[in-house]
Amino acid sequence: MSKSTILAGEELSKKYGALEVVKGVSISVDAGEFVCLVGKSGCGKTTLLSLLSGLERPTKGDVVLNGKKINGSSEDELALFRRQNVGFIFQSFNLIPTLSAWENVALPLFPVKMTGEERKRRATELLTQMELGHRMDHLPSALSGGEKQRVAIARALVNRPKIIFADEPTGNLDSATGDAIMDILNRLNTKEGVAILMVTHEVELAKKAERLVRMHDGEVIS
Amino acid sequence: MNVGYLIRELYYQKRRTLAAILGLSIGIALLIILNALSMAYRQAAHAPLKEIGADITVQRPGDVPKDLSGAVFPCSAVTISQAEVEKIQGLPGIRGMGKAVLLWVFDPNRAWIVLGIEQNNSVGPAILRSAVTEGRFFQEGTSEALVEAAYARQFGIKVGDLISVADRKFTVVGFVDASRASKIAVANVYMTLADAQNLALSSKQLQSVSPFKPGDVNLLFIKAEQEKITPLAASLKGILGKKATVATPDSFLKLLGSLFALSDKFTLAASLIAIIVAILIAFKTMAGNIAERAREIGVLKAVGWTNRNVVTQLLMESVVQCFLAGILGLLIALVVAFGLSFMKISIPIPWDMAPTPHFLPGGGDQIFKTLRLPIHVPWTLALFSFVLSIVIGGMTGALLGRQIAKIKPSEVLRHE
Repeated sequence: MSKSTILAGEELSKKYGALEVVKGVSISVDAGEFVCLVGKSGCGKTTLLSLLSGLERPTKGDVVLNGKKINGSSEDELALFRRQNVGFIFQSFNLIPTLSAWENVALPLFPVKMTGEERKRRATELLTQMELGHRMDHLPSALSGGEKQRVAIARALVNRPKIIFADEPTGNLDSATGDAIMDILNRLNTKEGVAILMVTHEVELAKKAERLVRMHDGEVIS
Repeated sequence: MNVGYLIRELYYQKRRTLAAILGLSIGIALLIILNALSMAYRQAAHAPLKEIGADITVQRPGDVPKDLSGAVFPCSAVTISQAEVEKIQGLPGIRGMGKAVLLWVFDPNRAWIVLGIEQNNSVGPAILRSAVTEGRFFQEGTSEALVEAAYARQFGIKVGDLISVADRKFTVVGFVDASRASKIAVANVYMTLADAQNLALSSKQLQSVSPFKPGDVNLLFIKAEQEKITPLAASLKGILGKKATVATPDSFLKLLGSLFALSDKFTLAASLIAIIVAILIAFKTMAGNIAERAREIGVLKAVGWTNRNVVTQLLMESVVQCFLAGILGLLIALVVAFGLSFMKISIPIPWDMAPTPHFLPGGGDQIFKTLRLPIHVPWTLALFSFVLSIVIGGMTGALLGRQIAKIKPSEVLRHE
């Protein structure tokens, strides 16, 4: 593991009963690197992403995230670790329907001791970066798919993470909007230096990343 | 906990919020109303006795002389000796006692119901002082009498007239409207206790069936410490015999025949059911809430909320819902109580406490004390119910903690 490695999974396996979904996978992501994990549906990409981000515990193997081995941590320790180091982008956006755009962005900061003004300032800044300054107070139901995903990206950035995990972030978007989202992710990666580990089954999209990792039947094949 | 998130969640999920608040508020209102009704019936049961300034009345049944002439005792109230009265005065829990002599006087052309009372005793029928409609109250040692206003009208008796009762002359110094005051211990003529005792002492017919000595009486009115009324009633029967008529608020409560009046256990059971229903509603709502919001909870956990953060947020939603339900339940209860306060209830007065001879016109009729249901919601009950509703909200935390800990973000956030 090099000094600049932000994330490393070593010999990771995950079994659900007799079914082994991830089979002894080793993978690493360097700081500021954009890695795409590609493979067919059901090959274990999302499970591997969950293991690497601390949402799921491996049956075997270790995960080292930002220099800390996270396997043995409790649920609450993992949550705190995610709050400080990790951002998430999901395929189906997963915005809270009752909160406005800026409140959704500020959601990871709600349990953090800081003033409401500071939370709003950070959320506003990010939404403006995402060209959504005019949609600050809108509920998710009033936003288009692309706008929702940009709000979700802003939410992933609000805690200034070292790495973003993106699970099929363009899966629910048309190709033009999907391209725009990919451009944003690329810009974040190159300008802000945020490492990105993205799961997708679209090889063409994955080619925009710095490095491609292919999975098949629970194993990394290249 | 984030207040803005809490308010928005309650505001935007109107149907869920309203269903929870309405369900719980009905349970809380039911609890308040059941207890207020029970208290109202208890209070109403005090009314017949309270009107004559007592908590307990005591009399002893006996025989009526065959020859109904002159002064006699009603068969429901014969001699209580001075020695028995002194024993009773020594019982623990007695705060005051009034004595009286009730007589039926059959003169050749008129029948009187006579009540001799201690005119300066605040316990007992001297409370009628406030019911004098004309003239004044009588004074000690002056052979003065008050006449019941309706009786005076019927027989053309005027203030200042001399009336003859069992061959003794009394000056009518005033009229009293007893119907305004009481249904117990009402008479046609009121006089001092000493004068009524003298009438009893000089009546051969009365002495032949119920020997009466100076200082004896036949009615007692007792003011007692509330929590000692029941043991006192038992002690009184111990002194006067099992046949003695001891009227207490409880004995009137039994006569009311209402479910609320019949048993404390009914109110307790119904209250418990109301509380259990309220708890079940709160838990069901919260369980549904968690199931419905599993994905949202998964997102919160994924972006760094600890179990405690999530539990606190949802718990406060539940507490606020229950707080609002408590207010609404209280308001519903106040409105229902206001409506019920117009309801009239009739408390039957037992025949042996009605002074009119049953063989005279109207004497056999059942007498009722009719009053508006004295229902109100005491602040202690309101506060208890309000606190209970918030406690129920807090109790859902126990369920929340376990349920929320079970939610795995990786499972609920898997894309469709």
